[in-house]
Amino acid sequence: MSSVRRSGRAARILDAPLLLTLPALVGLLLFVGLPFALAVGMSFTNLRLGSPLPLEWVGLEQYTRLLGDETFRRALVNNAYFAAVIVPVQTALALAAALAVDGSFRGRGFARAAFFIPALFPMAMVAVVWELIYAPGAQGPLNAVGQALGVWMPRDFLRDPVLAMPSLMVLSVWQGMGLQMVILLAGLQAIPRDLYESARLDGAGAWSRFVHVTLPQLRNPLVFVVVITALLAFRLFDQVQILTRGGPGDATTTVMYEAVTAAFTRQQVGAASAMSVVFFCVVVLITALGRRAFRQEASTA
Amino acid sequence: MAISHRLQCRSILSALLCAAACGSPDGAANELVVEVWAHSGQEAERAVLEAQVDRFDQAHAPLRVELTLIPEGAYDEQVQSAALAGDLPDVLELDGPFVAAYAWQGHLLPLDALLPDSLLASLLPSIVEQGRYRDRLWALGSYDSGLGLFARRSALEAAGIPVPTSPPEAWKVDDLDAWMTRLAEADEDGAVLDLHLNYPGEWYTYAFAPAVRSAGGALLDVGELRAHGALDAPASVGAMAHIQRWIADGRVDPNVDDAAFVEGRVPLSWSGHWDFARYREAWGDDVVALPLPDFGEGTRTGQGSWVWAVTANASDAEASAAWIRFLLTEPEVEAMASANAAVPARISSAEASPLYGPQGALRILYEQLQGGFAVPRPRTPAYPIVTSAFQEAFDAVRSGQDVEATLTEAAEVVDQEIADNRGYPPTTGSR
Repeated sequence: MSSVRRSGRAARILDAPLLLTLPALVGLLLFVGLPFALAVGMSFTNLRLGSPLPLEWVGLEQYTRLLGDETFRRALVNNAYFAAVIVPVQTALALAAALAVDGSFRGRGFARAAFFIPALFPMAMVAVVWELIYAPGAQGPLNAVGQALGVWMPRDFLRDPVLAMPSLMVLSVWQGMGLQMVILLAGLQAIPRDLYESARLDGAGAWSRFVHVTLPQLRNPLVFVVVITALLAFRLFDQVQILTRGGPGDATTTVMYEAVTAAFTRQQVGAASAMSVVFFCVVVLITALGRRAFRQEASTA
Repeated sequence: MAISHRLQCRSILSALLCAAACGSPDGAANELVVEVWAHSGQEAERAVLEAQVDRFDQAHAPLRVELTLIPEGAYDEQVQSAALAGDLPDVLELDGPFVAAYAWQGHLLPLDALLPDSLLASLLPSIVEQGRYRDRLWALGSYDSGLGLFARRSALEAAGIPVPTSPPEAWKVDDLDAWMTRLAEADEDGAVLDLHLNYPGEWYTYAFAPAVRSAGGALLDVGELRAHGALDAPASVGAMAHIQRWIADGRVDPNVDDAAFVEGRVPLSWSGHWDFARYREAWGDDVVALPLPDFGEGTRTGQGSWVWAVTANASDAEASAAWIRFLLTEPEVEAMASANAAVPARISSAEASPLYGPQGALRILYEQLQGGFAVPRPRTPAYPIVTSAFQEAFDAVRSGQDVEATLTEAAEVVDQEIADNRGYPPTTGSR
């Protein structure tokens, strides 16, 4: 009797995980797997929007063209540049903000809201506001401040080949760090208080408590934040579309921007699909690296 | 009937796009609905268009126009998606230079049999030309645009600069350089010319393709369907390099606030008819319209406007054409022209217009269109790639990058696209 019941339970236990993941799997297949398979398929064709010409199989042509396409290479480099700056800077600022609003002090709610509210704004709105801030000429607010402080002469931030990308970075950090801050804040509050207490009893100062208690305890949320920020950095599009259209030259173009303009301005769906596939591979690579970091954490814990 | 089904399907979309503008989809049983999509232009243009719909409905019962306004920003993308879904209306408004692309894709019906020759004969030649592709007429607009150099006469006279009064008298571009140096002496920051660099997008092609043509270059060899040898020809490079030099020398106001001319920061503005009302409000009769400078082969100007076409989807081509014929009647052409101050498509209306008539302040813009100084943007299905490549190239040129390398690269992009489309062979739609 009992053995029958046990095996029945075992079967149920075996089935349960599959059953529970089924809705997620179906969603994943339908909204990620299927479109990706279609994109791979289309990337081997000359498909273009609205063309009356017959569809043709072109093999790897779209990919070999991408390899030789200077603009696309520049887009990859720009994405990497953006991520290389955004990930450490935004994570550090988010951590600093989380630490600042973690303590109990008057106006804590206000401070938390002040850091978090930009994350609630749509990027389109943030971009338009910053376009006004960056306005060139002596009348532009940022230029006026710089001039009043004697720091710089009026310049056209968004049309300067060197400054355009950093200008996008600044507003992206401003908009994006609120979300990271909330995740890290939750991580901070999950750290048992007695760890700090015993560290203090052992004579640890504020800095060693941060290095030896806070950081190790915050490792998982930090890895998560870094991975998410890196992925979002590779998805950079809205700011570029609204503020610079990839220019000047190709100074601010990104893989997403190139894919969207290829598909919808030039109607080259085949080429855009190839770009999306390359983009997908980059994203998978980053996620894999992130997972490896997580696994190391699990084994050392 | 299919048409009413499509109406229901689109009613949600319509409600989103133009809550106020659309009529109700249900109506009397015997009426015939003509679905019309148009771009949502300036306030005054919208008001006139809506009044025109009312007048048409009254005069042409049982025909009734169902107007859907679509925001101008992503108009072409939205229409292309609808075309892909086989969901086009009966009548479509499109931007003039895109006519060939739509015709080649098979989305339009030729208008030749639907419009009387007498109507075509009464229109500006530039209006008829821009609607032609492969010897067929596909679209007509009720107005055309005028491009020129707007100036403050008093500033020119104070500097002893001659004021051209007809297109053939246009300044040679080297003279313009000299005049600008002279004007800069009296100018606070030395920037005396406005090129409307604040209008990225189609403006670059519309406004500066004439400079390329005037130098003897071209965006595209339309006959050979090749950009190499045209866009990167020495003449084209020379014209673009000349413009780049103006910017590098600080002669051009960046005009981010769109007020360089109005505020008096510059005495010269490379601009279209649509800015004239604003300019005259600021400077009164001191504003004068001049032809664009002559880069070597005589002045050239732009042209083009929104045009009306009957789609291949139209359930009743004759009823659809009735709407276009109605818009091209004298009173309706004049109603629209008075709202947007564009050049009326009818010669008789232009001649009678206070702006473009013999004594009109913008007469010279009309003379350019009438006298063959206007060059249509390349009429080919490749136009979307031509303009996108040229815009990108102009953006690079204004940012100071090497002109010849930039234009060569743009030509390669265009030629690759043409090759990919196998030279746009005739298809069922355009045959």
